[in-house]
Amino acid sequence: MAKSYFGAVDEYGFERHEDFDYGSYEAFMSNYLKVLASRAQKWAILLGDDGKSVKRTTTVKRYVRKGIPSEHRPSVWMAISQAEIMKEQSPDLYQKILDGPFEKELVDLVKTDLPRTFPDNIYFTKEANHQTHLFNILIAYAHNNRVVGYCQGLNYIAGLLLLATKNEETSFWLLKVLVEKILPDYYTKTMDGLIVDIEVLSELVKSKVPDVHQHVINLGLPWAVITTKWFVCLFAEVLPIETVLRIWDCLFYEGSKILFRVCLTLIRQNRQKIMSCNDFTSLAECFKSIVKDYSALHCHEFMEKIFTVPGSLSNSTIIKLRERFAKQRREQQQKEPPR
Amino acid sequence: MATNRSGAAQRPNGAPQTKVCQFKLVLLGESAVGKSSLVLRFVKGQFHEYQESTIGAAFLTQTVCLDDTTVKFEIWDTAGQERYHSLAPMYYRGAQAAIVVYDITNQDTFGRAKNWVKELQRQASPSIVIALAGNKSDLAAKRMVEFEEAQAYADENGLLFMETSAKTAMNVNDIFLAIANKLPKSEGGGSAGAGGARRLGDAEQARSSSCCK
Repeated sequence: MAKSYFGAVDEYGFERHEDFDYGSYEAFMSNYLKVLASRAQKWAILLGDDGKSVKRTTTVKRYVRKGIPSEHRPSVWMAISQAEIMKEQSPDLYQKILDGPFEKELVDLVKTDLPRTFPDNIYFTKEANHQTHLFNILIAYAHNNRVVGYCQGLNYIAGLLLLATKNEETSFWLLKVLVEKILPDYYTKTMDGLIVDIEVLSELVKSKVPDVHQHVINLGLPWAVITTKWFVCLFAEVLPIETVLRIWDCLFYEGSKILFRVCLTLIRQNRQKIMSCNDFTSLAECFKSIVKDYSALHCHEFMEKIFTVPGSLSNSTIIKLRERFAKQRREQQQKEPPR
Repeated sequence: MATNRSGAAQRPNGAPQTKVCQFKLVLLGESAVGKSSLVLRFVKGQFHEYQESTIGAAFLTQTVCLDDTTVKFEIWDTAGQERYHSLAPMYYRGAQAAIVVYDITNQDTFGRAKNWVKELQRQASPSIVIALAGNKSDLAAKRMVEFEEAQAYADENGLLFMETSAKTAMNVNDIFLAIANKLPKSEGGGSAGAGGARRLGDAEQARSSSCCK
């Protein structure tokens, strides 16, 4: 194939693997670059010359759904997620934690995962300074939130925040707002919020795509096996990076409901592929492939779909389902105390 | 393919069509002991010095050939961090085989491996075949767990045991082959969970029995 306009490393520093499909990617980007240019103009007008902080308004929400230009992501994420307010309330917090001292056990845990986070990204390997930044973010957060400490998966989230914002402290505050305000208790030692949300998703699939739900059960693949990484990593290391960042745009504004929209979109728009799997192995392979295909790569269309394909999904539905499964889980735990 | 490199078991040329059995195998063990690296070596013959940390679990398949049987492994490679423990039963439920991995340079990981063995003996299928893998044997200079200690523990508990190195490939195919040999290849074995192999349908058998060519 002719030499591609796109290099062996993508714009976020990830090495493109030998089997990278330059043809499909070029087809995607030739369209998406136009979208990006048009959105960049609109955002420039919205933000004005002084680059003022955005407010949470319906216009901004609509703009966010259509994608935040990468250069504005750090400030807009901070504003719409209200991490900015958290930071203003304790401006010295991050630096103070980094002054130490650190607990050895936490340091060892975090250090083990540093070289294992994005080993195919040049900023984390060849230009190794991102590993230092990543260590600082994760160790600061582990000491700041003792209930969570360090949970595997946070390394990918903090790592991608770092790649998107290029700023250690901004990444720390965004990580903090995600874990403490936006998401349920996914990362605590019992991961209760994660287990409940997987049940919630299963229930939503059951009501919205019942044949898929039944088929997946019949083939013996638990939803938790399929979706644990989707929830824990917020699709980082699952979907193509541009798609992940577009999802995070909405996640910071609209909250964790977005994750269900993404899951349901992946499941519903791949309904036929899933239904045509007739054994456990092909089903497991199917779920690996649908997060990497053409539709998952075309992030702009994909993000339009997440607001239409799953149908209506109200916050109150999610809240009710979460309460129901959390209650079930508590009752179950009372019956059989943990080992 | 895997078995050919190890040379341990090959189907003689012109042998009649072999039986194909499918088994679910789960890898368990502390974080960063090399579970994913063992699988990557076994399935793709590759090794990465820095293997990405596994979140939840990863699924892969690989086929090995014994004299008269083709064994297809459905491999579940799990996350090692303690807090993912509550999800583990999903992966070992119905498994016919498990590899419990520790790092020979880290005594704590051996203790954690023993806990996994205990849990499997209590909670998993009674007929599950358990192998203990002392990984990173290439780092013998930093050894903290003696071979004899682990061997004695494995003998007491009826486990297969090998020291392995995903980096040099030492004993990697061998441990999977040893498991394949020990698994019951009963005719018409039941479904997952019953302990027996799952026989594949004819069409699928035709596809997967080419592994020894």
